[in-house]
Amino acid sequence: MAINPGQRIHRYEKNYSSYRLIFVIILSCVLMYQDTQDGYSKTIRTYLSVFAYPITYAANLPKNTIEGLRLRLSERASIIDESKKLKEENILLKSQLQEIYKLDAENRRLYELLGSYPDKKRNFLFADIIATSSVPDRRQIIINKGSTDGVNIGDAVADPNGIIGHVIRDQVFSSEILLISDLEHAIPIEITSTGERAIAYGSGDMNRLEIRSISLNSKVQKGDVVITSGLGGRYPEGFPVGEISRVKKIEGENLLAIDLSPFANLDVINEIWVIQTEVSKDE
Amino acid sequence: MNKKINNLIFVWLIMLVTTMMTIMPLPHFFYGIRIEWVALGVIFFSIMNVSLMGVIAAWAIGLLLDLLQGGLLGENALILSVISYLSYRFRFQIRVYPDWQIMVVTLFLLSFGNLISLWIRGFSGRVLFVTEEWLSIVIAALIWPIFMRILQTLQNYFVEE
Repeated sequence: MAINPGQRIHRYEKNYSSYRLIFVIILSCVLMYQDTQDGYSKTIRTYLSVFAYPITYAANLPKNTIEGLRLRLSERASIIDESKKLKEENILLKSQLQEIYKLDAENRRLYELLGSYPDKKRNFLFADIIATSSVPDRRQIIINKGSTDGVNIGDAVADPNGIIGHVIRDQVFSSEILLISDLEHAIPIEITSTGERAIAYGSGDMNRLEIRSISLNSKVQKGDVVITSGLGGRYPEGFPVGEISRVKKIEGENLLAIDLSPFANLDVINEIWVIQTEVSKDE
Repeated sequence: MNKKINNLIFVWLIMLVTTMMTIMPLPHFFYGIRIEWVALGVIFFSIMNVSLMGVIAAWAIGLLLDLLQGGLLGENALILSVISYLSYRFRFQIRVYPDWQIMVVTLFLLSFGNLISLWIRGFSGRVLFVTEEWLSIVIAALIWPIFMRILQTLQNYFVEE
């Protein structure tokens, strides 16, 4: 293969690549440190992400198009079937909803008796997923709503079955979401049957969270439903998270090893909504 | 001047395509396999055509990749600049190797990149050994000869000397 004459380097020609490498390594280390410490790189990142959005969109175009086509070309029979199923579900849900008005009124009356009010009002914002992280040990997704649509960092995100994660980074037109199954994620929870509060940690496995702070004499059982406790203020209170899939006593340990399987199907996420929490005006 | 712009457009288009291929979601069957097309591209240009790609350019592409993958800002940037520097430094030796030896060198460079990634993860507190990552590197090295041939053909076509 012919060597390009332009790239032939003379023996005594100065070459700065080593200095450049050192400079770049230092710069990267500073950036990484800032990123772990929530420094000013957050702002830089937000603005740089605007350039990333079209690339993410374009890279995910083939997959999204194929899925769209599959949906469009799916058979008529199956669509009719689905529509029938949805109608049934709708009727069921509506009949359950009728009770809600009564419960709502009752709830408000009780709050008045207690002299306190629920302080938060919630908004739901529907969003679509444009990308999932391709890195195996990172459980993140990107949705198509960003700060221009009113999404804030820290907002919780749920799908029809339960909580899936929260917004960690704003990309102006889109936002990044850390799923509850990520290794770096922890969510404050409450076990409904016993009222115990704990923190569920992600395990890196899509179908398993871990609870490590429940004592041995607890009456937790397999199948108990777990909801968000609202402590810490990041996740709203009372949203379903999952159910307990395994309770294990380890010899010599003071605490139970409890596994939790999330209700939300984190592998295949379709429709999601961002739960925006607003502090009411009279506060 | 026109020639320079032409070449720059060529390189950055190729790098953009490799970036998109890196983050493109694969079918579920390939779960966990992620081929580092960007690293392959950086190695190619650092070995074969030094005037087009330097340490700083590799760093910038790595930063873009970090933004796209939502990782630690600077991780991929660091890895790619080190890979670029190493392949640049030994380009005269590597260039004359037969194909399979360049493949071995690629494997070595990519594993070194992965090692740096493990170090950084260790510092940030998530040491995690993912088998699929190392599998992806082997696959990437196997793809290398084809990748090199395609890029060489494209380069002969579009890059003006």
